[in-house]
Amino acid sequence: MSTTAHKHEHHVASAFQLWLIGGALVVLTILTVVVSSLPIPAPLDIITALSIALVKAFLVAAFFMGLYWDVKFNSMLLIGALVFFILMVTVTLLDTMYRNDIVPSF
Amino acid sequence: MANHSASQPAHVQHHFVDSDQQFDSAKLGMWVFLVNEILFFGGLFCAYIIFRVWYPDLFSQAALELNKVWGGINTIVLIGSSLTVAMAIRSAQRNEIKGLRINLMITILLACVFLVIKYFEYEHKLHLGIAPGSFWNPTPEVLAVLDHPKANIFFSIYYVMTGIHGLHVIVGIGLMIWLYIRAGKGHFNSEYYTPVEITGLYWHLVDLIWIFLFPLLYLIE
Amino acid sequence: MAEVETKKMTTLQVQRFIPSENPTNTYLTDEKGVWAWMTTVDHKKIGLMYLASVAFFFALAGFLALALRTELWTPAKTFIEADTYNQLFTLHGAMMVFFVLVPSIPAALGNFIMPMQLGAKDVAFPRLNLASFYIYVIGAIFTFISLYMNGFDTGWTFYTPYSSDANSAGVIWVTLGVFILGFSSILTGTNFITTIHKLRAPGITWGRLPLNVWALYATSIIQVLATPVLAITILLLSFENILDIGIFDPALGGDPVLYQHFFWFYSHPAVYIMIVPGFGIISEVISTFSKKTVFGYWAIALSSLAIAFIGFLVWGHHMFTSGQSAVATTVFSFLTFLVGIPTGIKILNWVATLYKGSIEMKTPMIYVFIFLFLFSIGGFTGIMLGALSVDIHLHDTYYVVAHFHYVMMGGTLIALLAGLHYWWPKMTGKMYNETLGKISAVLIFIGFNMTFLPQFVMGAQGMPRRYYNYIDQFQPFHQTSTIGSYILGVAFLIILYYLVKSLFGGEKAPSNPWNSRGLEWQSTSPPDFHNFDHTPVVINHPYDYHKPMEEFQLGIAVSHNGHGEHQDEAVSEETKKA
Repeated sequence: MSTTAHKHEHHVASAFQLWLIGGALVVLTILTVVVSSLPIPAPLDIITALSIALVKAFLVAAFFMGLYWDVKFNSMLLIGALVFFILMVTVTLLDTMYRNDIVPSF
Repeated sequence: MANHSASQPAHVQHHFVDSDQQFDSAKLGMWVFLVNEILFFGGLFCAYIIFRVWYPDLFSQAALELNKVWGGINTIVLIGSSLTVAMAIRSAQRNEIKGLRINLMITILLACVFLVIKYFEYEHKLHLGIAPGSFWNPTPEVLAVLDHPKANIFFSIYYVMTGIHGLHVIVGIGLMIWLYIRAGKGHFNSEYYTPVEITGLYWHLVDLIWIFLFPLLYLIE
Repeated sequence: MAEVETKKMTTLQVQRFIPSENPTNTYLTDEKGVWAWMTTVDHKKIGLMYLASVAFFFALAGFLALALRTELWTPAKTFIEADTYNQLFTLHGAMMVFFVLVPSIPAALGNFIMPMQLGAKDVAFPRLNLASFYIYVIGAIFTFISLYMNGFDTGWTFYTPYSSDANSAGVIWVTLGVFILGFSSILTGTNFITTIHKLRAPGITWGRLPLNVWALYATSIIQVLATPVLAITILLLSFENILDIGIFDPALGGDPVLYQHFFWFYSHPAVYIMIVPGFGIISEVISTFSKKTVFGYWAIALSSLAIAFIGFLVWGHHMFTSGQSAVATTVFSFLTFLVGIPTGIKILNWVATLYKGSIEMKTPMIYVFIFLFLFSIGGFTGIMLGALSVDIHLHDTYYVVAHFHYVMMGGTLIALLAGLHYWWPKMTGKMYNETLGKISAVLIFIGFNMTFLPQFVMGAQGMPRRYYNYIDQFQPFHQTSTIGSYILGVAFLIILYYLVKSLFGGEKAPSNPWNSRGLEWQSTSPPDFHNFDHTPVVINHPYDYHKPMEEFQLGIAVSHNGHGEHQDEAVSEETKKA
């Protein structure tokens, strides 16, 4: 229903929670810098870096932005945006990755 | 008729039934706007991915010109600012207006630190002739390391992505200064702190974008 | 059928609210004067301001079209220089796409009608709504400034490297104008999504949303997802122009096809932004004038969402001859065929709606029939263009020009005219001359087909688009087309005449001249400043013509217009009538 007037409480995060998440994010940042200097073969290096970034992004979105406690629809908006972004990239790559010459010459 | 009932607080606009509906609508509207921002930056990330797939060696070489340490510090600075803005919202929810203002101020300061570091990064590069577009004029020392014919493309992407991100940081600073002033005038309390909440969401997005920019630009080996 | 809320079931006291036939205070009388209009946050006034702006740009771009068609009366120069010709068709396209078609139905009619269809007092963010309008105006100003600079002749698609090489001030100004305009579209979409989620009156479940609202919802999703990509594309194009950033220019190391990918990632969904709201209007008008519920409600509702989704995956069909990989072209061609299916479902469902309906051929309904005919042709020819081998022959010919005019003008514009004639009595409180309405509708049908049918034939025979010159064999087609365009011009002038005339001394409109069951009709004509003087309560499906009118005029008894306690609990089946 749309006009729900029941007073749903806004979730108040605890300071400890927020600092914990902040600390985790700093640790993950240091981790990603350290890992980047290790000799990892492509494409695993990109996958690793992006995976760490995704974990960080999840922490920010879920706990700093409050999606964990929010109405599910707002999370769907975020996921929807990412889905369309991925579609845009993969379908464009269908062209750019499979061309004969990088820049078509006529 | 269409009179405002006295049972609703003054901050509730006339077309909303109550404060909750207004708050939820504002949050939903802001999330829709963030979707829009994700697709906006998404276009840039798409260009990045396409060019990186075409010229992987270029990207490995060119990233050497970027300083991991300063990039990493900037990342931690932004994470810190995300933390403080979340604390600011928490203060508002607990009606601690002084805490709200302090946290906002720290967020603003951290954001400024980010910009200062960025400024020095840009200055260093421009000094070396690593400039966008037609100003591309790298010094011989740079060319010794970076001899890819398409090197200007990487830096075009770098400048556009970090530049537009930086613009968003500046806008965020402006918004938070405005919030700081309004908080000082007593506009916010635990019943009404919607502008703080939605500005916080915007700021977290700015942080999120950087979380991806950092490894993609700085940490390519 | 009617859905029952499962969570909180409360009983609401309702009573019947019959709209007055002689409203003294309306939204037009409550705020008077130019300044009141310019600073209004009332969605109805903002909708009318958009309508006036869209009409203005349509007239401007329409005159350009007449100039173009006149020039094409003879091969070689008739009265316009070749370079000027290029500028004119570029401006015609850019204006029609960005300043008329994209905003028209959502921002003009949608703004006015949608909140009323939801029983709301306004959109979720009224001040943002006004900001959207002014952003539109500023975008327009930038475009006019670009004309004052040396103009632009790149075609409305601004393909690189021509658009980035020229270093032309005109291109920079107009693309920045479009960039600004994009925000108007984005903010309107944001507003609508929030409104539809949050501001529905008691009883309006998702299963009872008018199809017009479903259509606007799908449109808003497209606006929010696609327009930012246009924004970044234009920004990058501007950077190429000003700073020589080499992303799209092969001379600078970039890829021109990449520009086309980015541009069409927006511009294909953009055509769905243009047509999907039109679909919404057709559903509304066809059910009212058939006195029947729309056949296949969920099919039509969900097909709007399906079109929105699949529409994001077909953009490469504008680039079949641009040098894409074979993989990409094949995938895009297949997906293009797919996107025709939900649209086809709608057309068939509408026709099924007519079956055994009690059909009244008033002007809006005539436009619906015209729509069904013209849009079907447009849609079919789109599918034909989606076939790879056929498109190699037809790309960049007049076949394409005819196709998109059939869908955009024969589709969106006709739907806009249907909606305008349908809701005119509600918006203005006046009735227009019905006879003139019918005559101009017929004139438009004749003029339109005369203008664009020959273009299909010409195109298939090889006449290229955007060409100033042509070989003699095409002259009869061009001349027929030009005469048709004049007939169209006359028809539009007649429409302008009788609509404006109705405002000054036209017959007063009743609150519900078409006996529609729609919620927006259960208000005065013109509506009250707050739309309703009660909180409407909806207990039926939007098109239940077999139910009596009383059941569509319910509102919360002794309401404080939405303020106060317990106004918004879920409505159960047992609503007590006071």
